Amino acid sequence: MVRFLKPRKPGMVKQSNQQVSQSRESSLPDTSWKEQVLSPDLDTNLAQIKAILDRCSDVMYREFIFAQNEQIRLALIYTDGLTDKEQISEQITKALALEVAMAAPGQEISKSRALEFIKQRGLCVNEIKQTDKIREIIQAILSGDSVLLMDGYATAIINGTRGWASRAISEPEAEPTVRGARDSFVETLRTNTALLRRRISSPNLKIEVFKLGEVTNTEVAVAYIEGIVNEKLVAEVKSRLQRIKVDAILESGYIEELIEDHPWSPFPTVNHTEKPDRAAAMLLEGRVAILVDGTPFVLTVPNLFVEHLHAAEDYYERFIFTTAVRVIRFFSAFISLTLPALYIAAVSFHPELLPTTLLLSIAGQREAVPFPVFMEVLVMELTFETLREAGIRLPRPLGQAVSIVGALVIGEAAVRAGLVAAATVIVVAFTGIASFTFAYSASIAFRLLRFTLMFLSAAMGLFGLITGVALIGIHLCSLRSFGVPYLSPAVPMTGTDLKDVVFRAPLWAMFTRPRLIARQNQERQEQNLKPAPPETRPRG
Amino acid sequence: MLEQGKIDSKQAILLLISLVLPTAILTAPAITVKQAAQDAWLSIIVATMAGLLIAALVTGLSLRFPGKTLLEYAEEILGRLPGKMVGLLYIWWFLHGNALILDEYASFLCSALMPDTPVIVFFVFVTVVAALAVYSGLEVLSRFNQLFLPLVLGLLLVVFLLAAKDMEVTRLLPVFDKDAAAILKGAVIPASWFGEIVIFALLIPFLDRAEEAPRVAVTAILICGLYLLICILVVVMIFGPHVSARWIFPTFNTIRVVSIANFLERLESIAIAVWMFGGFAKIGIFYYAAALSSAQWLGLKDYRPLVAPVGVVLVALAALCRNIVELLNFLATAWPPYALGLFEAGIPLLLLVVARARGKGGRGA
Amino acid sequence: MKKRIAALLLITFVIILAGGCWSRVELTELAIVLGAGVDLAEDGRILLTLQIARPGAFTAGSEGGGRGKEAASWVISAEGRTVPEAERFLAMKIPRHIYWGHCIILVLGEELARREGTGIVTNFYQREREPRENIYVLVARGRARDFLETYSSLERTSAQAAGFLERMKTGYTVQLRELAEMLVSRGIQPAVTAVEVTEAGTMPGQVPGGPPPPQKEVGVAGTAVFKQDKLIGWLDPWETRGFLWLKGEIMKGVIIVPGPEQPEKLVSIRIRRGKTKIIPEYNGEYPRFLVKIQVEGDMVEQQTRENLATPEKIKLLEEEMASEIKARAEAALDKVQGEYGVDIFGFGEAFHRKYKKEWRKLKYHWDEEFSRAEVEIAVDAQIREIGLLTRRAGIPEE
Repeated sequence: MVRFLKPRKPGMVKQSNQQVSQSRESSLPDTSWKEQVLSPDLDTNLAQIKAILDRCSDVMYREFIFAQNEQIRLALIYTDGLTDKEQISEQITKALALEVAMAAPGQEISKSRALEFIKQRGLCVNEIKQTDKIREIIQAILSGDSVLLMDGYATAIINGTRGWASRAISEPEAEPTVRGARDSFVETLRTNTALLRRRISSPNLKIEVFKLGEVTNTEVAVAYIEGIVNEKLVAEVKSRLQRIKVDAILESGYIEELIEDHPWSPFPTVNHTEKPDRAAAMLLEGRVAILVDGTPFVLTVPNLFVEHLHAAEDYYERFIFTTAVRVIRFFSAFISLTLPALYIAAVSFHPELLPTTLLLSIAGQREAVPFPVFMEVLVMELTFETLREAGIRLPRPLGQAVSIVGALVIGEAAVRAGLVAAATVIVVAFTGIASFTFAYSASIAFRLLRFTLMFLSAAMGLFGLITGVALIGIHLCSLRSFGVPYLSPAVPMTGTDLKDVVFRAPLWAMFTRPRLIARQNQERQEQNLKPAPPETRPRG
Repeated sequence: MLEQGKIDSKQAILLLISLVLPTAILTAPAITVKQAAQDAWLSIIVATMAGLLIAALVTGLSLRFPGKTLLEYAEEILGRLPGKMVGLLYIWWFLHGNALILDEYASFLCSALMPDTPVIVFFVFVTVVAALAVYSGLEVLSRFNQLFLPLVLGLLLVVFLLAAKDMEVTRLLPVFDKDAAAILKGAVIPASWFGEIVIFALLIPFLDRAEEAPRVAVTAILICGLYLLICILVVVMIFGPHVSARWIFPTFNTIRVVSIANFLERLESIAIAVWMFGGFAKIGIFYYAAALSSAQWLGLKDYRPLVAPVGVVLVALAALCRNIVELLNFLATAWPPYALGLFEAGIPLLLLVVARARGKGGRGA
Repeated sequence: MKKRIAALLLITFVIILAGGCWSRVELTELAIVLGAGVDLAEDGRILLTLQIARPGAFTAGSEGGGRGKEAASWVISAEGRTVPEAERFLAMKIPRHIYWGHCIILVLGEELARREGTGIVTNFYQREREPRENIYVLVARGRARDFLETYSSLERTSAQAAGFLERMKTGYTVQLRELAEMLVSRGIQPAVTAVEVTEAGTMPGQVPGGPPPPQKEVGVAGTAVFKQDKLIGWLDPWETRGFLWLKGEIMKGVIIVPGPEQPEKLVSIRIRRGKTKIIPEYNGEYPRFLVKIQVEGDMVEQQTRENLATPEKIKLLEEEMASEIKARAEAALDKVQGEYGVDIFGFGEAFHRKYKKEWRKLKYHWDEEFSRAEVEIAVDAQIREIGLLTRRAGIPEE
């Protein structure tokens, strides 16, 4: 094998690693507090916490005196902006500093009884928790809870006072539907779990929370329905999540890249959705959902290829129409992958493919074009991709301008100037539109592969194109997502599951859950659900 | 075990169809029609019968030795050294047969699709694709086949239906114009194609339900027979026996004839493109057989290291063939005794007889 | 391992791209042949004439209007000993790759067909990859080159016009594959569409003021009859009709019969469908053939004044129609059997289907057998529709 293909010398790599780790350690702050516990002295505790949260200007310290006993000093610590200020003043400070007196008028609460009394009768907060670990306290403060410290006690009370400005639940931006629920996930994990729980109010819906990211401490929830899901799958998902040791999880995409089966594949083997109804449907088929705080996109695994060509609406519209629409979507997927390559192959290798009149018409258009057809298509495709990217990145008010420039300048002017054949513009435009008919994540893969196929097709015509498609086919056949073959249920074929690939069976005929996903609990519903007018209904 | 994957019966049927059909449909009609004229379809029926017999022979033999491939039980039946010899012969046949298929494939593409391209390009690319599939294992190979073969079969049927406009049943008459000898002679070549099903003996251990092997083989042979029958009927009904016998790839010419409403025409490039998937699968299966049996012969734990060397040998063997005339001549004259006589019927029959005589094998012993 | 495979693939890919693109030809580098003609040059060599499309004339849309009058084709010829050689000589004059994939018609000149036969021409078109099996083969009365040099008013080029004429099946149409079959078979001799250059119609208003010039266009002119692969004679359009009846080809057209009461006035019947069955018989000495023709037609015009919408009259018309068809078929048969003595009807094939053993002896001298065969023609005609009228309008009530 050629020398440059070998990996670099192992020694060199090691050396540089050591250097990095040394320099990293010296600049890192002291982390010894992570193991420490509180001391009974309030001032010591406060000082320590202040030292840990040094230069965190958004952390607030409020010291006050307990209403029933002036000896007892209290301190409340919280992060401004992450907490519900009204709740803090009403239910903690006001309650403890003033109103406790009403609960037990005239009584003097001794220092020894104070903790118990405050927990039982003083605090009006719903969620409280007691701890003495500094690590937990710091975590609580930074997550939006408020921490109450008491002089004389080596323990703290954590109050659930989270409340921050968050985006309201709005319509899904990435997965719009005509019919179906209009809500979408938001950036707050709690809201998202609530959206799921609202759809599946069953004790079997389990939502387990992890913290991932050494610096960001992001909350990640794993949701599944016990009894439907394959327990091995849950264990696998958890173990893959626990493997993750990174500093930050900012979006579910981070998780996706770290848990997927085939990191080198252009095809996504983890699905994501921002629609709670879709996520709920996935859970009900036996999949596992991974919710990440800070992003409205929820991951679902295992993922099948066909999912990307399905839409939530498919199950809300009537099945005949849905099937027809799916045919269009599958056809579009095919088009968006192969049409430009086919066009190149037909025009520059196999003119015998086209009917005579069509060929003559294309030939006439191309007569003045100075480029080979491959260059022409390549440039137009790149232009289209540029326009598309610009359309996304541009501030919204400018979007209009891009489309005008794109349509007029590139399309019309190029054809008029004789730089591009009109047929090429049609091909590229149709391909572009076709790639928008199905899920964005899959269409990215298709778009990338389209260019590869174009190259192959320009080099070897239909033979190159088919070779490319065969390679893609073999690749797709070898993919698995969490143990489930990516192309199933089509390949390997599982008969009953073909009810929901291109053809969408009527709901009353979908008796079973996907066989390879929900392994244990196959039965979805009763079998005789086909509706009929009363007189034709079979008796008995 | 060299192979961890398991394939189900449906996939096995499709694999066997790919094993026989893609090249059979290409050149067999012309060779058969040359012998039996318009009675070629009778030859195909005879050949299908022969294919069924070979299928029964192979599956019967394999089921006596559950979990073992042809090479493994050949050693068990004949003893170590003769068994090894037989194994070596089979490895040679898998390689040589595959090289011939590669030649056929490349010369067809060359004369039908890309006239100016050197054949070596086809060899290399097809081998690379097949190698990738083989490297990914039997499961992936059979899934790939399951993904694309229905497309091939469906498209062929559609094209034949579209050609119905130009067919005339009278071209098939008179029946039995040739004597039985000619019909039998015409049956030999397609029978040798059907006989390629002997490779199934390498795959039976990897079936998830091995006891269904006879059913699988019979179904596959019947489907292949049906397709070949339809193909021959269509070809003769369009061109008549004289012209059909003179084409090299009559099926290809048939597809070129299709013209409906001045628009649905010129389908041959699309048909070739789709047919190519079948070619990939067929070469892949032979390739897999060669790689797997070489690994078994050498006693390796994994056949994957052999994929690249086998591929190189394959391309080299294929490049030995000088032109299509040589290839066609070999296929028409030397191939039947060589393949059918020796590897497809001869050795398996010998193995069965010896196994019975020596009382080897689990069932029926 | 993965990296190595990827790198290898990449290298192959680059090599392919760098040295590859073998069969690639841009559309702008193609000379698309629409029609080819082969004549015999004076010194016995082959004169190959190509009608090549000029793609610039085929653009539709905004520019199309201005360029509508631009000539759509280019006709060029060269001589050679064989067709491929002539093609190579042509390649020296044509600055593009000569591309046969869309060739619609192959025209054989009369001289060539008579003296050299079709064999030296058609082989190339079958063996080559680009020309297709369904090219229409025509024999020009006169030179093939003159035929290709004509202009079409409706279609862009005369080759396309001839192709569409063939598709309409107005005459006896033969595709290359059918010609090949007829050439190979002993039970049928080839017959090919005959075409000629005619003056067809005018385009009024083209030249301001003066009378529009007559157009030289392509037209079907009966059938060319071959013995083996050599042209030996013609059937005119009328005889071709009879020939088609005997062949049982798709029939279109009108049969004119005299009115039952007024024989001098005519009734036109348009043929809707027909079926022909050839029944051979053999008594050991000479073959006999019974040709059964069944035909259905619709009455489309009457010149007579009588009321034809009665069962009796229809019956009479049907008889007239049958005898008219029989007369035509017999005319064609007489000419072919008596004058030319070749079996272009496929009677031999029919005979083969029924008497396969006897055929093995007869097939080597089938044309003589055919010449002395007895042929009986039986026609069964039916009238299905009479259009929207019962009686002819414009006649005062009596």
